[in-house]
Amino acid sequence: MASKIFMGDMPELMENILNNLNHEFDSLYSCSLVSRHWCKISIPILWRDPFTFNKNSMFISRYFSNFDDDDKFILKECGIDIDFPNTIFSYARFLKVLNLSRLEDCARKWINFHISQQKPIYISKDDLANWLFKSFIESGAILSKLDVYFTEVILKPEIFYSLGKNDHFFSRLHDVSVEVDVVTESYGFGIEVITEPFGIEDTIMLLRILAKNTTKIDTLKLGIFCNIYEPQIYHTLSNIIKSQEQLRRFSLICDEDLELEMHGVISALGSQKNSLQEIELDGCTCSTEFKVLRNCKNLEVLRILYGEEKKLLKVLDSDSDSDLCRISTLEINSYPIDASNLISILKKSGSLLQRLKLDSDDQEICSQSLLQETLMASCPNITFLYISYIRLSTRFLRLIENLRKLQFLTLRCIDDKEEIKSRVKQFAKILPPTLQYLEWVHSHNDILLNHCDAPLKRLVIDFCYDKEKTIKALIKFCTRKETLRYVSLSRYAYISSANDLDNLRKDLDKYVELVPYEDIEF
Amino acid sequence: MDNGTSNSASENETITLKSCDGIEFHIDARIANRYTLLNNWNGGESACIPNVNGKVLEKVLEWCEHHINDPQLNCGDDDSRRRNTIIEEWDENFLSCDQDMLFEIILAANYLEIKPLLDLGCKTVANMMKSKSPEEIRSAFNIDNDYTPEEEEQFRKENEWAEDY
Repeated sequence: MASKIFMGDMPELMENILNNLNHEFDSLYSCSLVSRHWCKISIPILWRDPFTFNKNSMFISRYFSNFDDDDKFILKECGIDIDFPNTIFSYARFLKVLNLSRLEDCARKWINFHISQQKPIYISKDDLANWLFKSFIESGAILSKLDVYFTEVILKPEIFYSLGKNDHFFSRLHDVSVEVDVVTESYGFGIEVITEPFGIEDTIMLLRILAKNTTKIDTLKLGIFCNIYEPQIYHTLSNIIKSQEQLRRFSLICDEDLELEMHGVISALGSQKNSLQEIELDGCTCSTEFKVLRNCKNLEVLRILYGEEKKLLKVLDSDSDSDLCRISTLEINSYPIDASNLISILKKSGSLLQRLKLDSDDQEICSQSLLQETLMASCPNITFLYISYIRLSTRFLRLIENLRKLQFLTLRCIDDKEEIKSRVKQFAKILPPTLQYLEWVHSHNDILLNHCDAPLKRLVIDFCYDKEKTIKALIKFCTRKETLRYVSLSRYAYISSANDLDNLRKDLDKYVELVPYEDIEF
Repeated sequence: MDNGTSNSASENETITLKSCDGIEFHIDARIANRYTLLNNWNGGESACIPNVNGKVLEKVLEWCEHHINDPQLNCGDDDSRRRNTIIEEWDENFLSCDQDMLFEIILAANYLEIKPLLDLGCKTVANMMKSKSPEEIRSAFNIDNDYTPEEEEQFRKENEWAEDY
């Protein structure tokens, strides 16, 4: 007899199971054909985010059935003379994720496909995208995620009218991304002038509606911003931030070449000081506005990427009255990272710090000794450590030996020619017994594997360094430890052909599974 | 603030849980502290858990014990955990039981609000459906097809865009 989970008694469990197949379109399609009950649960998941389906855009035709008669008539006038039978469900109602860029792309693909079938179609992608957008709004759909990325689509007045009449459409949004691309015009002789992007007025109008109709956004991502926009855009963004009950994650991507004033957008985050848990600032220029973030007492995750990290950290963390001292995840990406700028925040975070990522691009981190001493003295609970690039010094080895809870380690080292072999050997020996993931981008893979006693489950390694020796050592390690399950090539590894990759897979097949980097990275 | 690896109960403290069929289990109090519903029962000397029999409760507690030192997820981790389709070897072996037991574990994890175990069980069942035809899924889970041929044909037609070519 079938489990009661599958018989309709516990639809929430069935939904939990099928949610794991999100974006596995063919599996969801199969599930929908199993029985009526399975169909009821799987169809809304299948149609939640169809615009990510990249094999075809034929699903778009199914939406036409629910167009009103006037729209169907216009479609026929445009040459879309297809059958519009009533569908079993109103599929537009199931839409939860809308990415305006993908909508535009799918509309273009749908038109191109029909033209390729020798069908004369007189409709622009703008018109089709607008029709679809309007049908979603009017279908009763309630979005949970919206990506506003304007490229070339112009939203028609009917869309704004329809949004005004259907305020439920945005009412449950919890994840919103707004991106307006910077457009440059070339005038020759190397002169490039930034111009106002296409669709900025639409963006502002849409943002105003978002500010009015949303209160549940917990994740807001803004990028790429620069100085050329009308002040209304900043004012509207501030209003969106202030309208939310509990904004938890905020991300801002700026063009680092442009000195940018945020015109109150960052100050508006003061209204979310009790709820903000995660902040990412990418390419941001420091200003006094950022002082407001000092009061975010529940901030756990701080990421500063390619920005003025020295100034930003100083503004965020300069006073003793700053609440910003309970960071459990810190990520800094810069070229190069000067670790002396991080000492204060590392000391304040202390034993709360669990995840630390320092990515100095392809340059060596400055003030390494100070960093290592501070981590050893103040941050014993690190479970995730990503460092690039660092020397394999004796002090660094001591630090690794001291991190007794370390589970995930990614390391890119500067090749220190003298003593390097003995250092790699020492490093392999002191890896803690808690370590289960290691990403090692360096030479001497064989020495590492021959002396490593940590019970690794996942390993990312660069086979380009003496491939034959590496494979032999890896097989020996698998036989000796029996814990290793997945291995992957580092993202920087160069494999000349698919054939080479197949051969590598065959060599390792009996011992460990070779998987794509994306499947095991942390 | 909870750093995710510590619980307020000490390692030596134990509590007793009793299954609906009267089997008693003495467990590390930190397990109860970690999960809300178990913690609610951590009041008397012996707490009875209705709806979960001894065989299933033993399995659930075995899982909790193995994962007692796992870091608790922070706010951004939920999405990445969903995205990650790899199931750890120990968990995979743990759930390589017969199908009835797997479903009982899911039901118990749901009832006891042990979310990571619930998610793991659901992910395991979902993996069993991947890349299977409707007929294969029906046969794997013993489901009857209650569509009329006409209905089935219409659903097929309306959703065939999603079929893997």
